Amino acid sequence: MNLNEDSLQKIAELARLKIRPEEKESTLRDFNKVLDYVDQVKGLDVSSIADDEIYFQHENAIRPDLSGKHLSREEIETFAPSFQNGYFVVPKVIET
Amino acid sequence: MKEILKNPYAELKSSLNSGKISATELAQACIDRIKEVDGSVKAFLSLDEKRILNAAAESDQRRKAGKPLSEFDGMPVAIKDNICIQDTITSCSSKILENYKSPFNATVVERLLKKGFILFPRTNMDEFAMGSSTENSAFQVTRNPFDLERIPGGSSGGSAAAVAASMVPLALGSDTGGSIRQPASLCGIYGLKPTYGTVSRYGLVAYASSLDQIGPFSKDIQGCIDLYSVISGKDENDSTSVNRPSFSATAVSATDLKGIKIGIIKMTSEIEPDVTKAYENVLNQLKERGAILVELDFSKFSLAIPIYYIIATAECSSNLSRFDGIRYGSRKDNTGKLEDLYVESRTEGFGPEVKRRILLGTFSLSAGYYDAYYGTAQKARVLIRKEYESFFSKVDLILQPTSPTTAFKVGEKTKDPIQMYKADIWTTSVNLAGLPAISVPMGIDTKGLPIGLQITAPSFEEGKLFGFSQELSKLEGLNILLPEKIG
Repeated sequence: MNLNEDSLQKIAELARLKIRPEEKESTLRDFNKVLDYVDQVKGLDVSSIADDEIYFQHENAIRPDLSGKHLSREEIETFAPSFQNGYFVVPKVIET
Repeated sequence: MKEILKNPYAELKSSLNSGKISATELAQACIDRIKEVDGSVKAFLSLDEKRILNAAAESDQRRKAGKPLSEFDGMPVAIKDNICIQDTITSCSSKILENYKSPFNATVVERLLKKGFILFPRTNMDEFAMGSSTENSAFQVTRNPFDLERIPGGSSGGSAAAVAASMVPLALGSDTGGSIRQPASLCGIYGLKPTYGTVSRYGLVAYASSLDQIGPFSKDIQGCIDLYSVISGKDENDSTSVNRPSFSATAVSATDLKGIKIGIIKMTSEIEPDVTKAYENVLNQLKERGAILVELDFSKFSLAIPIYYIIATAECSSNLSRFDGIRYGSRKDNTGKLEDLYVESRTEGFGPEVKRRILLGTFSLSAGYYDAYYGTAQKARVLIRKEYESFFSKVDLILQPTSPTTAFKVGEKTKDPIQMYKADIWTTSVNLAGLPAISVPMGIDTKGLPIGLQITAPSFEEGKLFGFSQELSKLEGLNILLPEKIG
């Protein structure tokens, strides 16, 4: 199948990416080329495989629910792009 | 002193343990060699001389006091840039994590430090481990030490080139669809992709979680055996870690070639003639020594790459959603709304190949397409796993060339993503099935470039891979010379 510009735009929005105007044509071309290639999978007969067969492990990985060592606010501050008074700074999200 | 680095790892280990060389001398030799050749190879993204030499001095003190941490105390090992080391930048060769300093060590790093290894962070890679050539790094293109106009393979090309160019004896990489084996093959060294779940992924920046696996590079098989012994074993911090002890070097099975059943593939026209010739040379010698060759029908695997790309990109779109410019990584400032901040930070921070894969993954997970693409690919993956199970009921090991070609030229395949993806034709199915596989040197082509042989075993049979590789290294025409072009 081939995606058109509008559909690709929608996918980009879902992925939280922007396709700049000058990149639109080449991105769409490359995307459809790759889509054409992976499209072969669509026609495969996989009816012999049950839904629960797709997991490697059937063993639950659980551990005791205990408090442990966590990063301190000071440590978080060292790699956060913007941090103030112990909080991540984000643009205003509530209108007053 | 740096000449000693041209020796195989096993000799360096013995020199270190006999006191013939000190950890400081060895670390200094690596630093000198990196300074000598890495200007042209570009395998490393950074070199913290002070930290390396301090660690080496501590190692020497321990040995002097008669208290080495292990037989590996003082052994240098390079680390791929997607494996977290505390207080060290872990950028995944991306702009978005360009200045990210990890606050913790990956489990594999903890295990190396406990044994006294000297870490040499950080080797160049395809951004977020997405690529087959190490041309997708946001910072530099790594070159193949055998021919600087060519790529070293990817995505762990920096680690492979660092070992091949004798800058370090050992290195760690990660393998999602062939990212250890393919560069090992193109650089003429050994590279192991372990059984999924035997090496902790805690602290490995995830690309595709159900496929990624950390593994070793070395110029000889002993290096892979030793590194795998140290890094493998159950880890409580990784829920996909299997409940098994660390691999023990005593589990390397002595292999009798007489009577061993080897699965082989019928070669097709897409393979370079020199690769076919090298493969046939190995098969003929194995046959002469009594191995039984069984031809396997790999036609079901023709879809392994498309299946791989649907699954890998779906997982990548999910894993990389955490990079939003809020908690870590880089942020595009001066944006108005929160949504714009996410979009601008990600658009600026990710390179073209990463964006291409995020888009494909988002598409195959989106409403209306999920069942046809992602759902079908997941089931098709089971078909591949079952096909391998059926193969291993007939044979002990499977042999294939690791890559259909030797190293291609820088820029040769960048314009065509499909051509690039096809470089991993024989490696991706192994990840889909979670099996262990190793690439070992299989000779040189007419251009002087290395050719690799991939050996695949059933799950948890790394001992078989190592034992067989030891026997293979005794065959004729398989040894690789050191790259001459960089001296």
